[in-house]
Amino acid sequence: MANQAVPVTREPAKPVRSSFDWGKFFTYFILILGAVVAIVPFLATISISLMNLTEATSQTFIPSTPQWGNYIQAWQEADFSEFFFNSLQIALITVAGEVVFGVLAAYAFARMEFPGKNLLFGLFLATLTLPQAITWVPNFLTVSWLGKVTPLQWIDNWPALTIPFMASAFGIFLLRQFFQQIPDELWDSAQIDGAGHLRYLIQIVLPLSKAPVLILALFGFLGSWDSLAWPILVTRSLDWRPISFGLQSFLQEAGSFVHLQMAGAIITILPILVIYFFTQRQFIEAMTRSGLKG
Amino acid sequence: MSDTAIPSQTQSKATPKQTGLAIFSGRRGLKRREALLAYLFLSPAIIIIGLFGLFPLVFSAYQSTRAGLNNVVGRPDGLGQYVRAIDNLAYVLAFWLALFCLVVAIRNVNEIFATARAKEESPWRWLLPAFLSAAGLALMLWLIFTFMPGVLEIGEQLVGFTAEERNELFPQFLAEAWRAPGVSSTFYYALLAFFLSGLTYFLIQKNSKPTLRDGLYTGKWVTAVFLVILAGALIWLTFTEIQTAYAEALEEGESLAIWAQMVTISAGFVLLLLSWLVWRTAAHRDSNMQTFLRFFAAILLMVGGWVLISELPVVIAEGDEDWWISLRTTIFYVIGALPAELFFGLVLATMLYQEIKAKGLFRMIYFLPYITPAVGAAAVFKVLFSGNPTGTVNILLASLGLEPLRWLNEPSGVNQLIGQSLNFTVPEWAAGPSLALVVAIIFGIWKYTGYNVVFFLAGLGNISREYYEAASMDGAGRWAQFRHITLPLLSPITYFLTIFGIIGTFKAFNTIFVLRTGAALGTMDTASLVIFDAFNRDTRIGYAAALGIILLLVILSATALLDRFAKGRVFYG
Repeated sequence: MANQAVPVTREPAKPVRSSFDWGKFFTYFILILGAVVAIVPFLATISISLMNLTEATSQTFIPSTPQWGNYIQAWQEADFSEFFFNSLQIALITVAGEVVFGVLAAYAFARMEFPGKNLLFGLFLATLTLPQAITWVPNFLTVSWLGKVTPLQWIDNWPALTIPFMASAFGIFLLRQFFQQIPDELWDSAQIDGAGHLRYLIQIVLPLSKAPVLILALFGFLGSWDSLAWPILVTRSLDWRPISFGLQSFLQEAGSFVHLQMAGAIITILPILVIYFFTQRQFIEAMTRSGLKG
Repeated sequence: MSDTAIPSQTQSKATPKQTGLAIFSGRRGLKRREALLAYLFLSPAIIIIGLFGLFPLVFSAYQSTRAGLNNVVGRPDGLGQYVRAIDNLAYVLAFWLALFCLVVAIRNVNEIFATARAKEESPWRWLLPAFLSAAGLALMLWLIFTFMPGVLEIGEQLVGFTAEERNELFPQFLAEAWRAPGVSSTFYYALLAFFLSGLTYFLIQKNSKPTLRDGLYTGKWVTAVFLVILAGALIWLTFTEIQTAYAEALEEGESLAIWAQMVTISAGFVLLLLSWLVWRTAAHRDSNMQTFLRFFAAILLMVGGWVLISELPVVIAEGDEDWWISLRTTIFYVIGALPAELFFGLVLATMLYQEIKAKGLFRMIYFLPYITPAVGAAAVFKVLFSGNPTGTVNILLASLGLEPLRWLNEPSGVNQLIGQSLNFTVPEWAAGPSLALVVAIIFGIWKYTGYNVVFFLAGLGNISREYYEAASMDGAGRWAQFRHITLPLLSPITYFLTIFGIIGTFKAFNTIFVLRTGAALGTMDTASLVIFDAFNRDTRIGYAAALGIILLLVILSATALLDRFAKGRVFYG
């Protein structure tokens, strides 16, 4: 689309090329256009979230005076403190499990020899292609069965929300890629020093892999924060419903209070964005380094 | 954890002290200890991924053969749930799935013989242990189907007891379920099969010449035999199901078209397949023959297509309309979103892969939508693309002097809307995705383009500069360089992103769950949402499971088709 814009405006001006690089201009034009498209929804949201009711339901773009009280009102009306805390709890428990189990499994795949290694790894990766929708029914039945059979309450409690996600094939794959890049010499010298696998893992491998572990934790946190279908299925009371559920029902309740809805959306998004801004460099690097070597 | 690791350490340290033969056994012991430790490390992941990632596949298959509403242990219903969803096509699909299993089995056997011929040895001797293993596997699978009702019942029986009572009763109930007819015996037969398999395998290996001692064939034999057993079971199931359905229909005095439909639809597929095969062989013939074969293939294609086009709508009309529409919606969604995501991702990545200021900033901004929680971002789009005239996008349209649109509240297809503005009516079948779905597609493009940018950037970084230098010396322009160097060398990444994009868009739930409105009349409901509604709103457990299995088959065949298409087009270095 911008392809046409450049030649149309200055087609005869070719001789000036040496002083002004149209290729560069075109590149920046496309890049900035992309960035604007990516970022405008956020700006619009912030803008709407600061409007008062009349501004939000009329044809205005920018609020006359920012209504910061909208955030407090949305927080209270949608009971976000409860949902926020629930989501935080769910996410932290899930991430803890994901990191510990993921590190152990990835280490076994990267550094140890055992029969059935490739088969098991293949089976783990195969779960990545399964649509969520196929797991809802069986996992719900499994979880409710476990709740009836074991003394632990599963449905409408943390186990149903967290345990099924405590080991992710993606996380194991990501960590394995990093563990494999650690040079063999380190393992050899550790062995000479008499270290076993567990000591080597804790004292050498883990300090070297802070970045990928952090990435796994972030992705786990994001996935948990963003989950909606499964929490709806396995929770019945508000005690354990996550923030995504809170926002979804607030969207339906506060039908025309657009400014409050947008404040709610910002509240939901903000924790993730804050984390992202602090870690984005490692985040993107890990994304690109995780797959695609083969 | 550390307690368990320490003994293995001390033992491994102790090994060098042993002498002679013991060193060999010690080294073997070390290997064994390492394997044990590895399994220990893996055990949490195996339990969780096994129980909540892999087992659901079998569990779904089991649950989909059960009837009953909101009832954990429904009565067996065979293919009934599938028939409810896709009518008689269920039988056709089951039958063809069986044939597909057979074809894969035959290919495995062919490979076995090809390797055997190359190495000049006979692969037959490994058939016996492989057959026993496959039989054991099949019995284990069958065990799940027979044991499951009893096990699930335990949960119901234990309701209302205290924790102590439950601890006491659980083993009792479990033993009871175990004693149900056909459960324990299946298990013991399976164990026997595995044991015999191990024994025969061991004996064969021991009695073979050392050069022959190779497990090369066993795995393939096991797969082949297992697939044959699976195919047999599927064919048996299909035919008994058809017969019962036929008998029922005869009793009710309906005229029944099952057999006719099966034959015509199968014939249609066979003709399409034949056409493809003929077309492919045509490529290797001389020009006269080639023309004739191509002509023949075209005729086959037309006849097959005509048979399918005349018969399929009849079957589809008999099935669950919501489900068919949701599949169409999903396909619209994939076709609308995925190519655009890839295209914009590639454009932005190539632009970004130049001498650019603030590269990191751009990259960060592009990745921002991907990282934003879907529910929050969808809430934003719901407000921006609201059908009210005061919605942000509608204000923009108004400032450009255009009429406001109903966006997320608009159930009519885009082609119909375009037709309306040009004053002619577009027929129902050409309506295209609804405008509401288009908003979802725009959202998908907005959210996932940045993800593709990051991956394309990584791919561009892997392309050696020398290619471009050589090309520009040969006088290739920038477009030619892009077309003949960049695109082919990026093809593995494009392939990866396409496969995962298809899987991801088929999975899409959160966005559409938030974006959908009542006014859009279900035109936004993709397959995942229909499954969710069948389960959560209608509590039709077996039906939801059956739909899940069908969705999986659709995804698998879509990726397999893409794989075929990509073969030879993806260029690896």
